[in-house]
Formats: sequence, C-alpha cells, structure tokens
Amino acid sequence: MTIYRSFTAVQADLQRGTLTCRQLVDQYLDRIHEFGHLNAFTEVYAEEARQRADALDRKAAAGEPTGKLFGMVIGLKDVLCYQDHAVRAGSAILDGFTAQFTGTAVQRLLAEDVIVIGRQNCDEFAMGSSNESSAFGPVRNAADPERVPGGSSGGSAVAVQAGLCLASIGSDTGGSVRQPAAFCGVVGLKPTYGRISRWGLIAYASSFDCIGPIANTPHDAALLLEVMAGADAYDSTVSAKPVSAYASATLPDRPLRIAYLKDGVDSEGVDESIRKATRQKLDALRAAGHIVEPVELKNLPHLLPTYYILTTAEASSNLSRFDGVRYGHRAQGVTDLIALYKQSRTEGFGAEVRRRILLGTFALSASYYDAYYTKAQQVRRLIREETEELFTKYDFLVSPTTPSPAFRLGEKTADPLQMYLADIFTVQANVVGYPAIAVPNGTDEAGLPIGIQVLGAPFEEGKLVAFAKELTNSPA
Amino acid sequence: MVAEEIISPDEVAKPDGPVSGADKFEAVIGLEVHCQLLTESKMFAADANAFGAEPNTNISVITLAHPGTLPKVNRKAIEYAVRMGLACQSEITRHNVFARKNYFYPDLPKGYQLSQDKGPICVGGGILVKVKDPETGAPYERVIEVHHIHLEEDAGKSIHDADDWATCLDYNRAGTPLIEMVTDPCIRTAEEAGAYLTEVRRLVRYLNICDGNMEEGSLRCDVNISIRPKGETKLGTKVEVKNLNSIRNVQRAIEVEFRRQIELTETGGRIIQETRTFDAGSGQTFGMREKETMNDYRYFPDPDLQPVTISDEWMAAIESTMPLLPAQMYQRFVDQYGLPEYDAALLTDAREMAEFYESVCRYTTNYKAISNWLMGPVRSLLNEKSLRERQFPVDAERIGTMITLIDNGTISQTAAQKIFSLMAEGATETPNQLAEQHNLIQNRNTDTLGTLVEEVLAAWPDKVAQYKKGKKNLLGMFMGEVMKKSQGSADPKLVNALLVEKLNQ
Repeated sequence: MTIYRSFTAVQADLQRGTLTCRQLVDQYLDRIHEFGHLNAFTEVYAEEARQRADALDRKAAAGEPTGKLFGMVIGLKDVLCYQDHAVRAGSAILDGFTAQFTGTAVQRLLAEDVIVIGRQNCDEFAMGSSNESSAFGPVRNAADPERVPGGSSGGSAVAVQAGLCLASIGSDTGGSVRQPAAFCGVVGLKPTYGRISRWGLIAYASSFDCIGPIANTPHDAALLLEVMAGADAYDSTVSAKPVSAYASATLPDRPLRIAYLKDGVDSEGVDESIRKATRQKLDALRAAGHIVEPVELKNLPHLLPTYYILTTAEASSNLSRFDGVRYGHRAQGVTDLIALYKQSRTEGFGAEVRRRILLGTFALSASYYDAYYTKAQQVRRLIREETEELFTKYDFLVSPTTPSPAFRLGEKTADPLQMYLADIFTVQANVVGYPAIAVPNGTDEAGLPIGIQVLGAPFEEGKLVAFAKELTNSPA
Repeated sequence: MVAEEIISPDEVAKPDGPVSGADKFEAVIGLEVHCQLLTESKMFAADANAFGAEPNTNISVITLAHPGTLPKVNRKAIEYAVRMGLACQSEITRHNVFARKNYFYPDLPKGYQLSQDKGPICVGGGILVKVKDPETGAPYERVIEVHHIHLEEDAGKSIHDADDWATCLDYNRAGTPLIEMVTDPCIRTAEEAGAYLTEVRRLVRYLNICDGNMEEGSLRCDVNISIRPKGETKLGTKVEVKNLNSIRNVQRAIEVEFRRQIELTETGGRIIQETRTFDAGSGQTFGMREKETMNDYRYFPDPDLQPVTISDEWMAAIESTMPLLPAQMYQRFVDQYGLPEYDAALLTDAREMAEFYESVCRYTTNYKAISNWLMGPVRSLLNEKSLRERQFPVDAERIGTMITLIDNGTISQTAAQKIFSLMAEGATETPNQLAEQHNLIQNRNTDTLGTLVEEVLAAWPDKVAQYKKGKKNLLGMFMGEVMKKSQGSADPKLVNALLVEKLNQ
C-alpha cells in the first residue's frame, strides 16, 4: 500500500473510492507498530482511531457533508490537551494526569473530521533540541536511528518522516517545530505569534509559544493552519485578524525581494553541506529572477541569550503550578509543606527542566532582575525593531534552519550551550513573533536531511506558504 | 502543615493601663484594605463568584490552574475598580498591565497571583473623613490620602481545622476579584483609621461594588503601624497586623500595638519588621513570621494577558454609572430638602435609605416629616425585622400619602401611627382606605364638636371657674375630655379653638 505524502493524494483516493479512512488508519497503526523503536508515540489511540475512521466512512457513504480535513490522520504532540486523554508534556510530574478539556486548535481540527491517532513524544515541557529530555525516553531519527530527531517536537517530526501519520501538530517556542522538521526532512510551520489560540497548549514560555503543524508539504501545513487559526475567546493574546486561505495564496507578480542571512552561508559554525545547499537554493532563486541579497543581523549574537533569559523566566513561573498539590506527581512520605514542594518537583521534573526553572528564577530575582530580565526585554525590542526595518526592504529572510544536520544521540547532552546553538537560526522568529517555515533542502553526503528556513512578515502566512511551495517545487 | 504562628508571650503588651511615654510618641499608620468585588464571575474565569457555596463547587480548570489554561480579564472588575478610583478622585490608569506575583502556597493554584505591580489602576486621591479628637472630643475633618488602588485575584482557603491530620483546601474563593486600597502612612490614630474604614465601607456599598462585610471577609484590612517620637519625620520600623475582622478590632489592634511598641522602645527593646496577628479574644497581637528580608515575588508582566486599555468611550460609560456619592447626597439633603445636618447625615449613611427617602419625596414635599418617619418608625422596624429598605412592606407612595393626610388634617398623628402599623403588618390598602375602615378620619364638624365642648364644660363647672380665675393650664384637661368623648376622632386643633372661644365668652 502507498505511503501517502500529501493530503491531496489521500483525498483523491478517498474520492475515487479506492481508499477508506479505516484502511488508512489500519495502515498507520501497522506502521506505528513496525517503527515502535523510533519511540515517536507515547500513546496510540488504536481502537478510538479505528472507530472514528469507521464513523467517518459511514458519514461519507451516507452522502453527508464531510469536513475540510476529512481523512487526515494526525498525531498530537504531548503538550496539547485533548479531553479525556492523558497529557504529560513528556514529564513525570504529570503522572496520571488526564486533560479535562480539549484545546481550541485540536477542537477545530476535530470539527473538520481529522482522525487523531495518538500522542507524540517530545522533550519535557517542550524544552530541548534533541528530544532526549523526555520522561518517555529519546526519539530516534528515521533517517538514522542513532541520531536525534531534533526537538522539542521530535516525535511529531519523526511520525511524519516515517509515515506513521500524515501530519502532526507540534509547538514551537524557539524552533521546536522547524528544527526537528529540518532534521527529519519534513515541513514545519510556525505561524505568527497569536495566530493560533494557545488555549489547551501546555505553556513553556507564553510570549513565545506557538502551535504549529508538521507535514509532508507546505500545502498540508497551510491547510492545518487555516483550520486552527483565528480569534478565540479563551486566549486574550490571540489575534482577531481574519484567517485567509493560506493553502491557495499566491505570490505577488513581481520579482521577490529575498534577504538571506550572511552568516548562514559564510559562517564556519555552519556545516559545509548546509552552507552549500543553502547557496545552491539561493542561486536558483536568483536565476528565477528574484532579488537575492545578503544581510547581517546586528543582534544575531544576542538572539540566544535573549531567548534563554526570557523563556526561562516565563517558564519558571509557568511551571510553578506543578507543585504536587492538586494533580500530577506528589512525593510520598513527606511531612511538611516545603518538603512536599521540593520532593515532588525534584522527582517530577527532569534535569533540563530543573535547569531552566533555576535559570529563570535567577533571572527574575530582585538582585539580578534588571541585569537579566529587564535587559533581555530591551534587547528583544531592539531585535524586533531590527527585523521590522529589514522587512521594509525585503519580503522574506532566508537562512538554513539549523547549523548542522541531525547529531548523534548523547552527543550534546553534556554541553547545554552546544545544544542551545542548534536553535541559532530558529529563535529569531519567536523572539519577534514572525511566522517562519522550514522546508527540506536535500541531504548531506550521509543522506541526512537538510532544512532551509524562510521568515515572513507578520500574518502573511499565505505568502510564506506560497514561497515555500516554490522553494520545494510542490504546488500541493 | 505549616506552623506559622509563633506565640511569644514576652512580647505581649498589656491591653489597658497607662503607658509611660505615650505622649512622647506618635503612631504612623497605613491601611491596606482588600475589597472583594461583587462581580458575577471571577477575575480571570467564568466560574461563579459567590460566598458560602459548598467547598470546591465554584471552580473550573482555570481556577485549578490545569496545564493549558489561560486567564481572561473580567471587564466588570475593571469597571468596579475604576468606580472606586473615581469616588476617591484618583487618577485612572488607562493602560493596565497585570503582573504575576510568584510564590508557592497550596491555596494559590498557579503558583503566582495575578496582580498589578507597576501602574495600578488608580493612583493617588483620597477620602475625606470626619473624626472626633479622642482627647478633646472636638470634631475635625481630614483627607486620608490613598496611595493607589490595584486589582488582583484572591487566593483559595486553607482550612486547618476540618481534619485532624490534613489541611483541606477550598478553591471557591480562588480568583475572586479584589481591589487593594493602600493609604499613605498618614493616619495617626485608631479613630482616624476607624473613620476611614467606615467611609470606605460606605463608599463600596454606595458604589455597589462590594458588600463591605468584614466578618465574611469580603472587606479585609491589614494595618501597618510604626511609632516615632513626636516631631520626628523619619519613619520607624513598621509592623503589619493581620486578621482583623471588624472595624472595632482594627482600632483595638492599633491601640494595643501602639502601646506594645512604645513599651518595647521604652524598655530598650528593638521593634522588628514582622507580621503579627490580632487575637480578638485576648485583644493582643502575636508575631507570625519575620519580614526582615522581604519576600522576592519576582513580579513580571503576565505574558498570558494583553494589557487592558480603558478607552475614552469606556471611561465615559463607567462615569455614567456613577451614583451620587455619600458626601454629595448629604449636601443635597441639606440644600435641596432643607434637612438639619443630623438628619441628612443619618439618612445618607446608607445608599438604600437615602434612595428610599428620595422616593418618598416624589409624593410629598414635607421633607422634614419624611425624615422623621424614616429615622423613627421605619428605621426601628427595619432594625427589628432585619430588613433591607427594598424589602420594606410599606412603599414610598403610601408613606407619602399618609404624611399628606396628616398635613391636611384628615388624620391625626396618632391615627397615622395606627395606619402605619397596619400597613407594616401587611395591610395592602391605601392610608385613605385604612383611615375609613378604622374610623380614623378626624371629626372636623364644628356643630358636633361644639356640642361636645359644651357638654364637657357643663360637667366641670368648678374647673371652668378656676380656669377663668387664671389657671390656664386646665385647657389641656378639657382637651383630653373632649378627645375622649369623640373617641379620638376629633381634630385637636379645632377642639382647641372651640374651647378657647367658649371659655373666653
């Protein structure tokens, strides 16, 4: 049976009657079983998915209208709340926790007839760039199981890469959708901040967090975005701007003004294979008649420090609710309140999460507040201004998605700074709130996927997707 | 659970008796008043905001801080806070940012409290209070300056005595909207503090933003107090006193804490910055926890909430909902209705009574008579039956009509009392109907009354003789006899005139 690589293909076969939702689900369930060693799913909703597939098939057979995403089988990163299903954020601290409501994005997908096949492994509380910090163990890259899939939405990227579902819904705080998409050779889209409601997304850093799709094609990612995006009464930070048809948007009929990050093709810190692939892609764009120019980001060296100070500060507060009092893991045998907090949180959180809570608490503490938190907020504004200025001259900013292809399991776990550098090109979009898409850009000599990233103007996801289609030569 | 209260008997002050040096020191007092807002739902969630429900029934995933939940600002709470700010003539902050105040406590579900840090919703302003000097008894007025008013959410409740070994948690209260009003450290005496609190309570009730009930905790007050030698301008080390569930207890706590701090200072002790709790039973304060190093709450703007901007239109809409404030109402009662200050003060003490008064004014212009009825029979009946004005069985129209009937001589004051009682006991007829049914219409017939007068004078010839010799006060006795004969229905003014006329013939 075919492994579908686009929703258009799935729809065609469903339409033709050569495929049923049930057959699709059974196929994916078989593959999930077959590729169990990749550890992409932490829970598979086998029976539930079969039943839903049957119900959808009956609905279609009865001639009833079907939803926009009828027949799309998806997985959910383990940070998205889905009523009556466990949600753990890859953490032991949410042991035994079941979501009591369905988040807005997931609700909207369900209303358009998606089939949710399972919950996908990720870095604990979405904190990580390699999916090695999950309480459910690391996820492995399908291109080379000795290598990481990237993170934090590692399970979600691998599931698409290995054909365990057609698309995944991840979350992106500093590159968590795009960086694993690059490592796995698939498409990852981070929309504009506030484009998709965060209601039902377990928070890492509230002013950076975005839900984003991971798919085989920019078109599929755009379809998912169209359904998930838009105003929502449950999230006061979501935008009320109307949602347009991102999947069918077109580019302006003129040469595009494309900036590319000079460091992305020149810096020694970027893998030669990636620099080469990026240069080739830029040459192709130039050859196609676009204006392609190098730019330097004055604030590039400040991106990661700004990102890590602000995200850890917000995380230190966001994760305070996991205290062992109302739900989740509670330490046994403690006799006083302070011990209850300390023990529960020490046992429940993994090393990376503890590190970030400590960093964030430090950045917000009275003696260091101005030197770290306040300063980082100021720098964030400067970076935003610099980016805004750039976008007055250009339509897109292109860079490699990552400085290296997928690294080996355990290669960077001992050196958090090296690990954090994996996010160097992706954090800018989150720091400034702009949309960005990561698309495949070939492979290196070892056959490891390489990604290329495009940053677009706020709320211009349509153009971004249209450009990504051109970059990948994939109209649908 | 946590043992917070460390009782240190050696620090306890004597509640009474003169303290040497009391005249050398002055108290510097600031109050922090929390008012729970009477919104239907919580500050950042749609759960009901109600007192007295079964534990953990007014809760939701937001209140319980389930992962994936987000807060949403209740606009009513913003409006209520603005109303209070307008009443205090504060400057209203148009761009409001909510901040997270981070600390761990089991009744704080998120591990942070949503509050305002920089840029509270109301800045400055003040409240005029009338105080009696405790020593001279002389009344004086002064403005207690409000430093700011900010919005925040309440925490849940930790209940330590419901179970032998466990602390129980009730999250119904978690997320209830609060305003915290902080005064400048400008209060000097317990009397001023009491007057301020009384005025705050009156204001929140007038504004209908808080029920002002201190026993149920919907209005709470913490006292910051330090002492310094008179004439000194620097502030001393302040002590915060909590657990004050009545205005009286706030005043008692101030008095006892003032004494304790003086005694401690006079005996060479050192006042430490701390939080103390007031025990109403013993009338003493006890140390809770040292506050020498301030808690680090790591405030930062809540990234889950957009700043709330109060537009000019919204502001105008809030202003249009402002009722007359007690002071304005008082002035109107004096100026427009010509009431004595005493009456005006009493009637405008509570908004409901003032409104009741004004509703009666639609039916009669005898304003003083309305005041007498409301301050007298109406008020005593309200107290006796513990009723609110709007529940009062006699409506404004019937009270007004009754006063008119007295004024035009149709019924006597005594008859009116009777009619009032009948109406208060549930009679639904009009005062006219009741007067007729119970024979209470005054007899104003000169012929029949003249006959009665003649009969009485004929029955008491010796008294008539005495009257004529100058014992004029016998008139009262003749009046009484005539009234008796008329079975109370005679118009006393007319009887009086007839008697004088006959006796002087």
